[in-house]
Amino acid sequence: MTPDERQLVEHVTQQRWYGAKSRDVAHAEIIDSIALRTTEPQFAIALVEMRYDTGAHDIYQVLHPEDDTPGVARELVSAMRSGRTLQSAEGTVEFRPVSGFAGLARELADAHEVGAEQSNSSVVFDEDLILKVFRRLEPGINPELEVLRFLTDHGFANIAALGGWYSYAGGPLAATLGILQEYVRGGLDGWELALDELAEDPDRFLSRLRRLGEVTGEMHRVLASDSNDPAFCPETPSVEALGLLTATVDEEIERVFLELPDETESVAPIAGRGEEVRDQLRQLTHAGAAGQFIRVHGDYHLGQTMWADGDWVILDFEGEPARSLAERRRKQSALRDVAGMLRSFAYAASACSLMRGVEPPEDWEEEARARFLAGYFETVDPVLLPAGQAAVERLLAVFELEKAVYELRYELDNRPAWVGIPVRGIQRLIEEPTAA
Amino acid sequence: MSEQWFERDPLWFKRAVFYEVHIRGFFDGNDDGSGDFRGLIEKLDYLQWLGVDCIWLLPMYPSPLRDGGYDIADFFGIHPDYGTVDDFKEFVEQAHQRGMRVIADLVMNHTSSDHPWFQESRTDATGPRGDWYVWSDSDAPYRDARIIFVDSEASNWTLDPVRGQYYWHRFFSHQPDLNYESAEVQEAMLGVLRFWLDLGIDGFRLDAVPYLFEEEGTNCENLPPTHAYLRRLRAEIDARYPDRVLLAEANQWPSDVVQYFGDGDECHMAFHFPVMPRMFMAVRREDATPIYEILAQSPGIPGNCQWGLFLRNHDELTLEMVTDEERDYMYAEYAKDPRMKLNLGIRRRLAPLLDGGRDEIELLHAILFSLPGSPVLYYGDEIGMGDNVYLGDRDGVRTPMQWTGDRNAGFSRADWAQLYLQPLMDPVYGYQAVNVEAQLRSPASFLRWLHRFIALRKEHPVFGLGSYEPLRSDNSRIFAHIRRWEDDIVLCVHNVARSAQAVQLDLSQFAGMVPEEMFGRTSFPAVGELPYLLTLAPRGFFWFRLRQAT
Repeated sequence: MTPDERQLVEHVTQQRWYGAKSRDVAHAEIIDSIALRTTEPQFAIALVEMRYDTGAHDIYQVLHPEDDTPGVARELVSAMRSGRTLQSAEGTVEFRPVSGFAGLARELADAHEVGAEQSNSSVVFDEDLILKVFRRLEPGINPELEVLRFLTDHGFANIAALGGWYSYAGGPLAATLGILQEYVRGGLDGWELALDELAEDPDRFLSRLRRLGEVTGEMHRVLASDSNDPAFCPETPSVEALGLLTATVDEEIERVFLELPDETESVAPIAGRGEEVRDQLRQLTHAGAAGQFIRVHGDYHLGQTMWADGDWVILDFEGEPARSLAERRRKQSALRDVAGMLRSFAYAASACSLMRGVEPPEDWEEEARARFLAGYFETVDPVLLPAGQAAVERLLAVFELEKAVYELRYELDNRPAWVGIPVRGIQRLIEEPTAA
Repeated sequence: MSEQWFERDPLWFKRAVFYEVHIRGFFDGNDDGSGDFRGLIEKLDYLQWLGVDCIWLLPMYPSPLRDGGYDIADFFGIHPDYGTVDDFKEFVEQAHQRGMRVIADLVMNHTSSDHPWFQESRTDATGPRGDWYVWSDSDAPYRDARIIFVDSEASNWTLDPVRGQYYWHRFFSHQPDLNYESAEVQEAMLGVLRFWLDLGIDGFRLDAVPYLFEEEGTNCENLPPTHAYLRRLRAEIDARYPDRVLLAEANQWPSDVVQYFGDGDECHMAFHFPVMPRMFMAVRREDATPIYEILAQSPGIPGNCQWGLFLRNHDELTLEMVTDEERDYMYAEYAKDPRMKLNLGIRRRLAPLLDGGRDEIELLHAILFSLPGSPVLYYGDEIGMGDNVYLGDRDGVRTPMQWTGDRNAGFSRADWAQLYLQPLMDPVYGYQAVNVEAQLRSPASFLRWLHRFIALRKEHPVFGLGSYEPLRSDNSRIFAHIRRWEDDIVLCVHNVARSAQAVQLDLSQFAGMVPEEMFGRTSFPAVGELPYLLTLAPRGFFWFRLRQAT
């Protein structure tokens, strides 16, 4: 590596949004750069390719200067406002406002960075607007932009309005670089709200969940509402769709149980029971249908919701960051989102005791599930689901199992204290008799 | 406008797993008894799940189908049985959205005798297309060119009663060779490539590429002007169509095939034909020597090129690239019924060739996946489909894909009698025993195994990009080698014998490193200065990643 290259590697790998911290970088290269502002202070965007020792690689969006993200962000928003198109050596960057979005007319005063997540970072302006910068880039339209635009156009109200976006198209790839959204002022994060209310007044949170179910059902109804848009038109899954799903989940179960540590006490209830879990999966998928496949939220849990002005707002349509963009854009069963939320209730109940030191009422999770599902089934278009309640429950159980297995792997790697949560979820799914 | 779903990646094909599809046999989307593009779109999720990176389509053009579509009657259309050009565009877009690319067969050497170009050429010798084919007053020229389809053709010349002259054809007599001496023919074929590239296709598998030009006193194969024309095609692609590939079908010895890579300025890929029969030979003889030897004879190739490797394809298992003695051996071992032979080859599918032996099928896939090159799978082989040697020509290996145990193997909702070919029904390989649905459901099935194996290979770009370093030992039943790319070092050891084997490998250059078995991630004892001892089950294999001891 040249000194310049080494410096670039160092610069990128120390950023908070840099996702591949455990991988060894063999090479780094700026594959394109775009000047945003050529007079002082100068701002620019660079696309940087990081190559790992195994030959795999990622492309990142790096802002310049990275230590003045709010400054660069301000420049990005102003470019959106004026709808600029910038040329670079290898391509073009298009900045586009959403017509009729009032938030862009205002002057931007305060700008500050908020909690960086893996693979993106966000800047909030005056508690009015939030700019999300996608850091790890993948070719194709980002589902967050695609879905927000669709939901806005089709009149789904429970989202933060889309204000604009910017994207890159050129030799290296075509990709969404970032989006601007209305900032939900005074909104309460759904996950934090759940924990707070669980600790203080568990019934209060329960009383909000029927509405969350309704909003979720409505979201799916709208996502499935346009048969003229090929990216959103509902699909009848092919005959082997359920088989492909089963095979995928089954392999995930096998892999997790292969690596399950035997000495950890928290996994004891399911230790050595991998075959039982796989049998249960076979029972659940032995017969059945998958309903219609539609575009979904893709990473649905309480942390992606907000309570504001007496209603729920749904956030973050990016999908699971660990999956490829092609996978995240795939149509699938709406029940996958539902299962994600149900698992989130299990997490909230346990987290309440882990983080707040308060034991939630014994039947809280059951009650939360029941209320959410009641609201959901009342609102969702039944055509989207498999026919018959038994088939719906079986498919839902498959997705819960898939999710719990994914959680188990994640917690084993990252948060050993939380391993008990997915363990209980898996235990529950193997010990419950399957609906015939 | 179609979106751009891929990063710039000029070497994608080096890490790719290819899957060869017979459109007619894959899935019938409009219930007429014949597979089509609508049907193929429905099955893209399956191919994505399997881990396919690039779909290779057998010929899709209008054709009288006297040679499985390799007799093209219109280069700019889609055979009506398969759909329309719009269906094709939709298919490419849908594949791209799932991260899969598409290449298609293209026959540049000849057309169908039904092609309007040929009809014009034979009726108007002095007209604008009079010289678009190779015409002669006698059948004397080019005597040194061999006859390829020895079972059906007596000469490379056929007298055309209409024009009263002989026309040249290296394959069937209904497939007249185009005359590449004509600048117009050269330009017309370039126009064909541009047409499909503009529709979004990711490249071509160039059929029968060695035979474009003829020259007296030669065998009329691999001639310099043929290479010059390929360089012209490549220059056009490099200038206007980034990340597209040309895959040459040149059934030749490696030293001749490498010429099709040029200096990295002709084809991106070429099939490695001779290694294929030797894998089968090694398993039958229980001796890995033929594989070592053919790889030792394979010259190095430019860094931006790649071998295409396969076990079986839509043609007969070709035995052109073996010695007479080896061919007799292969016939005796793999084609006991004379019906199984075709031309210089064996027209059978993978599973029946190996008597359905699961261990053998896995072992051959392991060897295939471990070799330097990109593997090309043939539709149906991922579930161990069988063949029907009673069908004519190569139809026996082109029967409908077996999706389910239901009517018509889940391939079509048409009447049984309407199907282009009936699916296999024999008790061993019939669709009730062998189908995708059942194998998806069974965790121990070959399909599920292959899915995991493809995923494993793709986790390690070393298999597509890395070096090949043979490791000989004194046990000739063991095929062992090292693959190396950047810091990734992989050791592959295969036992081609029916019995358990022990082998001592000289791994001293890796002393101190720890072999980690790649499937189960089990660590084996560290490598020391002494020969490394491994024991392998019958037809067993191990792949290890060599890691620095921590």
